[in-house]
Amino acid sequence: MLEIASVTKRYGGQAALDGISLSVGEGAYLSLLGPSGSGKSTLLRVLAGYETPDAGQVTLDGRNLNAVPAHERGIGFVSQGFALFPHLSVFDNVAFGLRYHAHKPVRDSAETRRRVMETLEMVGLADYVQREIQQLSGGQKQRVALARTLVVRPRLCLLDEPLGALDANLRQRMTVELRRIHAALGITFFHVTGNEMEALAMGDRVVVLDQGRILQVDAPDTVYNRPSSIAVARFLNRYNLFSGRADGQGGIATAAGTVAAPRLCEQRQHAENVDFCIRIDKIRVQPEGEALAEDEAALMATYIASEFSGAIITHLFRLADERVVEVENHLSHRRPTEYDAGRRYSLVWPRDEGLVFPAQAVTREATARAAA
Amino acid sequence: MERQPILRGLLTGWTALFLVFLYSPMVVLAILSFQSGPEGGPQFPIEHWSIYWYRQLFNLVPASSVAPLPLGGALLRSLALALTTMVVSTVLGTMTAQAFRRHFRGSGVVFYLVVLGMMVPGVLVGLGMALTANYVGIDRTWWGTVFLVHVVYTYPFSFLVMLAIFNRFDRSVEEAAWSLGVSPVTTFRRITFPLIFPGVLSSMLFAFTLSYDEFPRTLFASGGDLTLPLAIYGTFSVEIHPNLFAFGVLTTLFSFALLAVYATLMTLSVRRARRVAVQEEIA
Repeated sequence: MLEIASVTKRYGGQAALDGISLSVGEGAYLSLLGPSGSGKSTLLRVLAGYETPDAGQVTLDGRNLNAVPAHERGIGFVSQGFALFPHLSVFDNVAFGLRYHAHKPVRDSAETRRRVMETLEMVGLADYVQREIQQLSGGQKQRVALARTLVVRPRLCLLDEPLGALDANLRQRMTVELRRIHAALGITFFHVTGNEMEALAMGDRVVVLDQGRILQVDAPDTVYNRPSSIAVARFLNRYNLFSGRADGQGGIATAAGTVAAPRLCEQRQHAENVDFCIRIDKIRVQPEGEALAEDEAALMATYIASEFSGAIITHLFRLADERVVEVENHLSHRRPTEYDAGRRYSLVWPRDEGLVFPAQAVTREATARAAA
Repeated sequence: MERQPILRGLLTGWTALFLVFLYSPMVVLAILSFQSGPEGGPQFPIEHWSIYWYRQLFNLVPASSVAPLPLGGALLRSLALALTTMVVSTVLGTMTAQAFRRHFRGSGVVFYLVVLGMMVPGVLVGLGMALTANYVGIDRTWWGTVFLVHVVYTYPFSFLVMLAIFNRFDRSVEEAAWSLGVSPVTTFRRITFPLIFPGVLSSMLFAFTLSYDEFPRTLFASGGDLTLPLAIYGTFSVEIHPNLFAFGVLTTLFSFALLAVYATLMTLSVRRARRVAVQEEIA
């Protein structure tokens, strides 16, 4: 339905979008994950028609959108700050697109009323029709903004960090609401977020964006379990990252010690620089000196502290190279174990759970930046 | 501040002094306008209080040696001129400020060219206008050449006011309207304009008052028909009678009325838009 073909957008020589290609199917819920400055907002603005790409093409239902102004595109946009019309009531905000549509305005006020109320009911705000915008809370504003966009039934609805301004509780509720609304309307949603958990929870497909390029497009569980590169693993915030050198004999030498590589990598005969990562909930902690199973890899580390957050406890360990790694335990699985601060433990994981990527110069640079 | 009574006293005194200097000329003028007539002169002491000079302005007293002020036509001309200047400058200023919301090639140069209109000495502009009109061979009139210099003078003020308003304007509201399928023109009318309306009012007030008592530019650019400031100045060369003061009091009252209208519209502008919205909804 929507085709994005090598779209590039530069600001003063800096590429905000660097050859983005993506195709979005009818009725999909796509989430776009990227750190700030990755170009995700720029991509939305290009799609909405607020910015013109320097190169490339956007087509919607086979129609080239490059020369089509924003109001002719039929693409809805819910901006991060909601951008409600401050001088209009909730009703008039939602009715705006119906009343003043350039081509098919709804002139019948009963019809306008019916459609506005229907949409407000869908977002759970039917009791707030007469309110002024200033009298609404953040979550209510967010839903008015959504209703205002959905009432005109766009082909595609762009959501720019829609949950970013909400508190954690509300965010949880809106996540469910958004999915429900999406299922009810069948409109294609394009949800941009900087929050990895939100991206995984919301999308049928997750697009990971960094420095104006797409790193991975996959189903959420694939992105989560099999990130396509060390950069994706970093955005997920669920992996301990290492860089090292594969010795060609099934081991990877890192600054913190040598670990057993996943067996898939053993075919690699020659030595090469690699990036390596292991998910934080795949690691088991055992006292120093205890034997490993054959299919396990391990690193020695010193225990620092633990963070307790309900069902999850996160332990922090310091490696030989002073880097800190995280180990996550789900309390429903295991009893919390007490560790002694300053004592050395062995961090163990099934060697095949480790992910190895050929080292990339760009990635290393980014790693250095992240470490600094 | 509360702990520094001396500083506090000094500043209060300073402010009071400022207000005295600001208003005492007007107060003196107002008092003298109630001088007895027709023999009372434009100075203290007040021989006895009367509203003779106010009545004289409207030809309600028997003819005397003091001729009625020849200001009626000038007043109408100045009002008409100020009103048209106000509308034209505000429209131009708003349009220019709108253009400046996006950077365009040469925007810096254009900015200074526009603002120059209020920086150049007025007498020179007036003189230049007179010379140009003579050279081109068009008559100098209050509705032609004077109107032109007034617009050149007030347009930069309107522009700057609107530029400040647009600087604080949240562009995303307009974008939101476009994404709903509403054309940019309708968006301007229904969203942008109501939101910048307070700025438009200020710009109109600026343009009106600047044009209404403009002197140096008008002096050379006008032809035989004078505007109010020129006509008042003209009466000085004959002899000053308290009827001029009475006239001054009346025009000042008019200015205050104008300010009151401005203030009322300003406070209502946001609320009114909302009330209209609610009424539409009920209807």
